[in-house]
Amino acid sequence: MTTLADGNGIDLFIPKTYDIFWSFIILVILAVFFYKFFLPRFQKIFDERAEKIQGGMDKAAAAEKEAEEAKKKYEDQLTQARVQASKIRDDARAEASHIIADARSRAESEAAQISANAQRSIESEQQQALVSLKGQVGTISVALAGKILGKELKSDAVQSDMIDSVLGDLEDESKED
Amino acid sequence: MTGSVGLSVLTAAGGLTLADGPSELPSIDDFLPPEILFQGTPFAMNRIILIRAIMTVVLLLVFGITAKRAKLIPGRWQGFVEWMIEFVEYNVVYSTMGELRGKRYVPMCCTIFFTALCFNLCGVIPGFNIAATATIAMPLMFALWTLVQYWRSGIRSNGGLGKYLKKELFPAGVPWPVYILLSPIKFLEIAVIQPGALTLRLFANMVSGHLTLATALVMTDWYIIQVHNAAMMPVGILWFLFGFLMTAFEIFIAALQAFIFSVLTAVYINSSYPEDE
Repeated sequence: MTTLADGNGIDLFIPKTYDIFWSFIILVILAVFFYKFFLPRFQKIFDERAEKIQGGMDKAAAAEKEAEEAKKKYEDQLTQARVQASKIRDDARAEASHIIADARSRAESEAAQISANAQRSIESEQQQALVSLKGQVGTISVALAGKILGKELKSDAVQSDMIDSVLGDLEDESKED
Repeated sequence: MTGSVGLSVLTAAGGLTLADGPSELPSIDDFLPPEILFQGTPFAMNRIILIRAIMTVVLLLVFGITAKRAKLIPGRWQGFVEWMIEFVEYNVVYSTMGELRGKRYVPMCCTIFFTALCFNLCGVIPGFNIAATATIAMPLMFALWTLVQYWRSGIRSNGGLGKYLKKELFPAGVPWPVYILLSPIKFLEIAVIQPGALTLRLFANMVSGHLTLATALVMTDWYIIQVHNAAMMPVGILWFLFGFLMTAFEIFIAALQAFIFSVLTAVYINSSYPEDE
């Protein structure tokens, strides 16, 4: 059993020739391995991966741009459609009000015509009635007066005077109405 | 500091052997094992070198196959390996000296980090039970590589050996008499102290780790199995818990020392570059 107390602890720190030899060989082998194979291999993988990711990102960016454009186009179309729709609606509304106004004015003129016609026919009928009434009233009143006054009113002149005066009264009365 | 911890454990272990205790307590002999292959030749192998060779083969196979089968879309293992590579690349090299300067040193720091990590971990792998970096030669090799690398980069980037030495030994803005004291110290630093510190830090950590861990396990064995005394059972259990804790700690230390070694390599290389660049 060797301990530090035995005084050969310094041996620990003095490398043996064969130890140096093997350490050197092993380090060279490992260094060659890491320099020539291991790291270049992984570097290649890293580069490839970066390239792939870059490519993927570019593609994604392109796709995004495309989508953006499509969206813009769609939105434009939508806006256009909205404008068109509102225009159509306005047109329709305007036409409708036009039609209504037309119809109203036509109806009004028709109504005016109808009432004018009615007025005219009423007037003519009134006229007719007046004329016929005139005759009848004359006859009746002459007969009535004859009966009241006896034979005094047999002359034609007296008769027509009387009739006229009665009719004159009637007309006055109707005017007052 | 870690060295002194190692030494205190060393003496503690040594002291324990004097008592009438377990006969298999770890000692510094563990780090000076007998030659078992090619005895007496300059390429003799002892236990630790054999562990180192086996670990090298394992490392080459595991990482070689991983690299060979590396895919664009990584699996879990590949992801983990890539994470380690990127850790060394960004957290060790680029964070120290920037991407532009650091790019050429990534393979070196990766080699040191991965090798040191795997070799350190041998300390907690059953059957190996000692770090493959636990003889002075291996950390020394790493440190010499670092030394050569920062001298080379210093000479190249400063435009010649003279200019590199002038920059290192005669820093600007110092009154000239100070150089008498400063320059030899600076020279010692870049020639001996920096690689020496690298070597000793790693080596001493591995030595102390092995001694602590092995002591804990030997004592566990002693108190639970060898001593037939139920009263000593709790002591054995405590030793076992300590061993458990130390195993976890050693795994952490293995990674930490690999990290420190590669970071300091990057730092030393970086400081060899001209200041104003």
